[in-house]
Amino acid sequence: MSHSRFGPGHLPAIALASGAGLLLCAVANTLARSTEGYPMGLYWLGVLLIAAPIFYRLTATAATPTERLALVCLLGLALFGVKVLRDAPLFTFSDELVHAFNANQLGSHHHLFEANSILKATPYYPGLEGATSSLMSITGLSSYAAGMIVVGFARLTLVGALYLLFLRVGGSARVAGLAAAIYTCNFNFLFWGAQYSYESLALPLLVVIMMALAEREAVRREALRAWAVPVVVAITAVLVTHHLTSYATAGILLALALAYWYVKRSWQPPNPWRFAIFAAVLAAAWLLIVASSTIGYLSPVLSGAVKAIFHTLSGEAPPRQLFQKGNPAVGATPLAARAVAVLAIAVLLAGLPFGLREVWRRHRKQPFALLFALAALAFFATLALRLAPAAWETGNRAGEFLFIGLAFVLAYAALAAMRRWSSRPRLTRTLLAAAISLALIGDAISGWPWDAQLARPLKVSASGKTIVSPPLAMAEWAARDVSGGHFAAPTADANLLLVPGDKWVVAGPHPDVEDILEDPQLGDWQLPLLRRHKLRYVVSDRRPASSDGLRGYYFSTSGSTEGRLPRGVTAKFEAVPGAARVYSNGSITVFDLKGRP
Amino acid sequence: MRGHRDLRIVATLTLACALLAPLLPVEWLSLLFALPLAFFLPGYALVAATFARRPIERPQLLLLSLGLSLCVLALGALLLNYVPGGIGPVPWAVLLALVVLNGCRVAALRRPSARARSSAAAKPRPRLSKTAAGLLAGALLCTTAALVLSFTTTSAQHAEGFTALWLLPPTPRDAPKGGARIGVNSEEQKPVSYRLQVRVGDRPGEIVRRFSLDPGETRVLKLRAPASASGKAVAVRALLFRGEKTGNAYRRVSGWLAEPSS
Repeated sequence: MSHSRFGPGHLPAIALASGAGLLLCAVANTLARSTEGYPMGLYWLGVLLIAAPIFYRLTATAATPTERLALVCLLGLALFGVKVLRDAPLFTFSDELVHAFNANQLGSHHHLFEANSILKATPYYPGLEGATSSLMSITGLSSYAAGMIVVGFARLTLVGALYLLFLRVGGSARVAGLAAAIYTCNFNFLFWGAQYSYESLALPLLVVIMMALAEREAVRREALRAWAVPVVVAITAVLVTHHLTSYATAGILLALALAYWYVKRSWQPPNPWRFAIFAAVLAAAWLLIVASSTIGYLSPVLSGAVKAIFHTLSGEAPPRQLFQKGNPAVGATPLAARAVAVLAIAVLLAGLPFGLREVWRRHRKQPFALLFALAALAFFATLALRLAPAAWETGNRAGEFLFIGLAFVLAYAALAAMRRWSSRPRLTRTLLAAAISLALIGDAISGWPWDAQLARPLKVSASGKTIVSPPLAMAEWAARDVSGGHFAAPTADANLLLVPGDKWVVAGPHPDVEDILEDPQLGDWQLPLLRRHKLRYVVSDRRPASSDGLRGYYFSTSGSTEGRLPRGVTAKFEAVPGAARVYSNGSITVFDLKGRP
Repeated sequence: MRGHRDLRIVATLTLACALLAPLLPVEWLSLLFALPLAFFLPGYALVAATFARRPIERPQLLLLSLGLSLCVLALGALLLNYVPGGIGPVPWAVLLALVVLNGCRVAALRRPSARARSSAAAKPRPRLSKTAAGLLAGALLCTTAALVLSFTTTSAQHAEGFTALWLLPPTPRDAPKGGARIGVNSEEQKPVSYRLQVRVGDRPGEIVRRFSLDPGETRVLKLRAPASASGKAVAVRALLFRGEKTGNAYRRVSGWLAEPSS
């Protein structure tokens, strides 16, 4: 493996294509934000312009390892740019606002573990916010700007580490480049995995651990100890960053240790069983000693997933509908887009047996390769979870980890195809680049709602001034004019009350403010619950999207058919003795339950 | 660190970044120094110290420098949490500088100096043709244009504007006088005229204000508490009309006047 050759190769021309692709995506987002249409064709063209030339070049034999690494990094950063262009200059994903609140708390209190009223477990995994705080405090940047920079560097680390991992395991720069590029086709790469959330930092660090272990496997015995340093440091960093990734780290290391034993019949180094135990013990200790609230957060999700699987299998519950309807102004996912999404899965599935055969033929004595092959198979098993209503999220999360293995296997399928049709290399390479592009776009359609792919109006220019959407206006009012006070609010309003509102706010079913805010009648349990939790301010929002943490932040558009919740959801609080109606902007009304002095 | 050019550069750069980044008052300028200090130098120093005797290849070195820097940031906050003063600009700058300088020192002590010289001499230099430089400049230009476009607030004709009306107790500064604040905040697409009618307790008549607001503008009306409140809560009701329209109010809020604190 030589990295001595250095030259930009086709990188400059491909970088120009990526830049042009980003510009197209920016234009598409600007048109959508300006309510001048929803130009998905232009947007996908931009994404294609970013990715397809890179995919094509990575199939070439002529590219140097350095060029391949640079291309993979360009791909990772440019696709991250697509997400940045959609949201700038504010966070608009549910988890992002939760973590931005934690980062702001860290900035103002100068200490960790300040409570978060929406996701109670998040302050106990402060790695992301800690990293963000370094930039925020040194430079004075906002949590948005600092957070995006941290995630940007994490994305760069992710794709770079994937390339080096695949390079070491596969021994081929061509396979490594292709595999790292194919990884960007996973459902969550474009949006969910690029958000300002703890997994966006933890997953890249996990890949760094895997890369370091792969390198460690290749060195002589006396160098083993040196490679243990980055592994231990990164395991500890993952531990303080994200619960699920820390458990996944322990699980992956354990699986790897077993694969080592299976292949080499030895527990001696480089078998990583000691690291597996280290990761498992640390994760358990952190969970029990520091972050015990995580149990209450994760257990309903996981038990719900298990129940949903059984209910769906037994026919007690209908399967989850794919491509659910979202914003009525945009409409459901068109048939052509659904076809692309299904075709993308078919392409991945079609490559699987050929890739598995190649991996088995070449690398069956390699523990990492065996693990990748198993992960590739498991990925397709998790697709079934998408049909169970409460299990789809678990399947979706697992997919991001398992896709690492699938990407490696599919890169070998691509290699096999190029060997099989070596007499027509250009056509084969073009078809392969087209297939990977199809997988990228199809999986992006599957992984993120159609009506949320492009930006929507949040801040708008009017007569030379800036006006903001109803929920954002309410949150800014709360930040500016309401001192203290605890709020009960629907999910979207609650997220904005965290940032920029900087308020203590409760949403969702625990405690059950969700039902209180959607019920047109004032049930006799509702006021006692609000008082028990000291929730002085109640945000009543008649927009159905207010309970949607993805779609509930924006302006309504003229001609929209989104409807309104019954008048009773607001009117019922007028009858509460001593309550004051302190804010009204049409769809949103805020009541102060202790308004009377 | 004599004989280890890379370590000397890293240490000097770190000191410059750690001193300048927190001091510079302009965000982007400060960021210029903060980025290497946070995202590269700590990792590089750790890698240099760890692999001092057995150097690793350049791609692995660069990647681990990034990855371990992220680890230092994630774990650093945990460490600073227990330091007097907590997490702030100076503690961060000092911590990152200490990590780098200690890493460089350990690397210098462990690294054979002859190897350092030979490896430095072996590094190939990248060469860019004019065409390649032009293409990269074009890429940078496109990306910058995309970012500027995305960060620019644009008009949205079909976005439905609105107006907010609110009623709150006085600000902490005015709290001793009692009363209330009534605010009208226009998030309309165009300038709009309003009529605000306020009824205070059982006072005869209404307070009426007519005004016009530009998009994004806010008007606040301060109400004084009546002198003879005598412990009884005084109700306030505010109605907002657009222009001179009558009938159903466009917005309404209600509450009570805060009493003056004696």
